[in-house]
Amino acid sequence: MNLLLISIYIVFAAAGLLTVWRIITGPSILDRAVASDVLLTLVMCLLGAEMAINHHTRTMPVLLIIAAVGVFGSISIARFVARRDNTER
Amino acid sequence: MNAVLDTISLVLILLGAVLCLTAAIGLLRFHDVPSRLHAATKPQVLGLILICLAVALSARSWAVVAFLVAVVLVQLATAPLSAHMVGRAAYRNGTIDERSLYVDELAESRETPPAAGG
Repeated sequence: MNLLLISIYIVFAAAGLLTVWRIITGPSILDRAVASDVLLTLVMCLLGAEMAINHHTRTMPVLLIIAAVGVFGSISIARFVARRDNTER
Repeated sequence: MNAVLDTISLVLILLGAVLCLTAAIGLLRFHDVPSRLHAATKPQVLGLILICLAVALSARSWAVVAFLVAVVLVQLATAPLSAHMVGRAAYRNGTIDERSLYVDELAESRETPPAAGG
């Protein structure tokens, strides 16, 4: 049981660090948008995992709100990139 | 019985975490935006479903299951939206690897249409 918990922590930490590394070194802003989407999904998975490990359900509305609102960041980034492309042409 | 359910939920959490790790590795290893999107969608759908199953097994109440169904449905509805917008913007900006495409079905619609927010 304890070994399972430790491996869960290590795997989540490695995934978060690699995603943040892609956000830092992303060549274009779209790569950073994709990586920040993955980071947001990682936050959702971490909230759920913490609920399941500690046997409570207090952060469940946060999960729903993140799932509903988290899209708008990537959508607005995509539209901003298209707009900048048009003015350059 | 409860210990068995807790262990099963921990194993499900570990599977979801491994999916997040594969998405992060794919983000680092792949070379252009559409292939990074391909890697990024794995934890957004399957990883979250596994984590929600783990929460349901850990809480063992039907009200929690009803709330988690709503969470998964909202995520299933909104994850393709952002992926579509980002992939479309990547294609229009030309930040994709043209040589890795076998068929380019969007070739004649490369220009941003006037109604696309441009």
